[in-house]
Amino acid sequence: MDGIEKREKVREARRRLSAQRNRAGRLRGRVVAASLVCFALLWGVVFVQMATGNDPVLSEKAALAASRTKARHAAAAQTQRQAVEPELEVRSESDGDAEREVEAQPEAEAQAEPEVQAETESQAEPEVEAQPEAEVELEPVTTSQS
Amino acid sequence: MSESRLQFECFGGRVEIRAGGDGAAAALAAARERLFDAHRRLSRFDPGSELSRLNRDPRTEVPASPLLRQLVEAIAMAGELSGGLVDGTLLREIERAGYADSLRRADRGAPIPSAPASPAGASARAEWTALAVDAEAGTVIRPPGVKIDGGGLAKGLLADLVGADLARFDSFVVDCCGDLRLGGRAGAERRVLVDDPGGGGPLAELRLRGGGVATSGISRRSWTGPDGRPAHQIIDPGRGGPAFTGVVQSTAVAPSSLLAEVRAKAALLAGPEGAVAWLPDGGVLVLDGGEVVPVPTPAELPQAVGA
Repeated sequence: MDGIEKREKVREARRRLSAQRNRAGRLRGRVVAASLVCFALLWGVVFVQMATGNDPVLSEKAALAASRTKARHAAAAQTQRQAVEPELEVRSESDGDAEREVEAQPEAEAQAEPEVQAETESQAEPEVEAQPEAEVELEPVTTSQS
Repeated sequence: MSESRLQFECFGGRVEIRAGGDGAAAALAAARERLFDAHRRLSRFDPGSELSRLNRDPRTEVPASPLLRQLVEAIAMAGELSGGLVDGTLLREIERAGYADSLRRADRGAPIPSAPASPAGASARAEWTALAVDAEAGTVIRPPGVKIDGGGLAKGLLADLVGADLARFDSFVVDCCGDLRLGGRAGAERRVLVDDPGGGGPLAELRLRGGGVATSGISRRSWTGPDGRPAHQIIDPGRGGPAFTGVVQSTAVAPSSLLAEVRAKAALLAGPEGAVAWLPDGGVLVLDGGEVVPVPTPAELPQAVGA
């Protein structure tokens, strides 16, 4: 191989190397462009959903929190009703007011749900679930010769 | 769970009724009136009561109120179930023993009468077999001269009848001078303490969600008889006098108060050897030596392997 052929081969190698770099640059550019488009499209969908008020994640949380809060208040109202039952007979005129107060509480507290949501889920549930397991204690009675 | 309650004197002793739930106070007041009415009808110490008039009536078939008919049926049932040991037609024998006038139940700690012990037996006359009721005609049929005494059977019957009235409440208990009917829709467990005939603290504790409990004994209505011997109200039908069987007090558990009364009295009359057979749902016996014998309920009995 003479000197001319040697230089020609070197030039050819540089050209190929340059072509490879160009291809890699084009591919990199296409990938970056595709990523940017996908990113923009995804956020576009999210934006539309948020703008129209249809965030599914937020809707499920709200429904769950509301149902748990209602369950807690229903159980609390039931417990309160059982506790005052003996008195209900004596205070017949105030029965209606007491019932109305018990029923009104869930509505009033439902408005404050977003603020109490975390507390409702983490703290109130164990109290509500533990109550039905308690055995009712009845006063003993004595049997004697009749 | 809190309960409304009423206590009052009736049937020659203390009656207590309790119920828990809405409207319990009004129901208890109605139950008290029902018990007072029953006492007026069924007292043998009141010559004007329906029972006294029946015992004097010379006719074979006598018109009777539904309550008196139920009592007569209960007496016939008691005789049938106990083979004549529990005999509600022994009024003459009771009066002959000295229990002719109303005798209020003695306070706790009364001395326990004692005499040589032997098991009781059925009466040869078995007048309870002649008792019948015609529900359509509304009459009681029995040979003239047969006299009946409600005694503990009437208390057990009334505890059941009033208990049925109170069954709609979350909890209830009817205590007719110691004969109990208890239960309630809540199905809650209640402790039943067994009284000590010697006047001490409770001898035993039962735990029930419903049913009847009755106690029969010889110490709380006892006296010295005309012959100077100790006497009491539990008559041995076979001998016609107070029974001394070696059992001084018997407590029985049963599905109803009336059945518990029959079992308790039959167990006492059968004596220590035969008493346990009369307590298939459990109970407590007190023997004349002071020994307390708990009889377990079927659930408390040890189960055989593979049973």
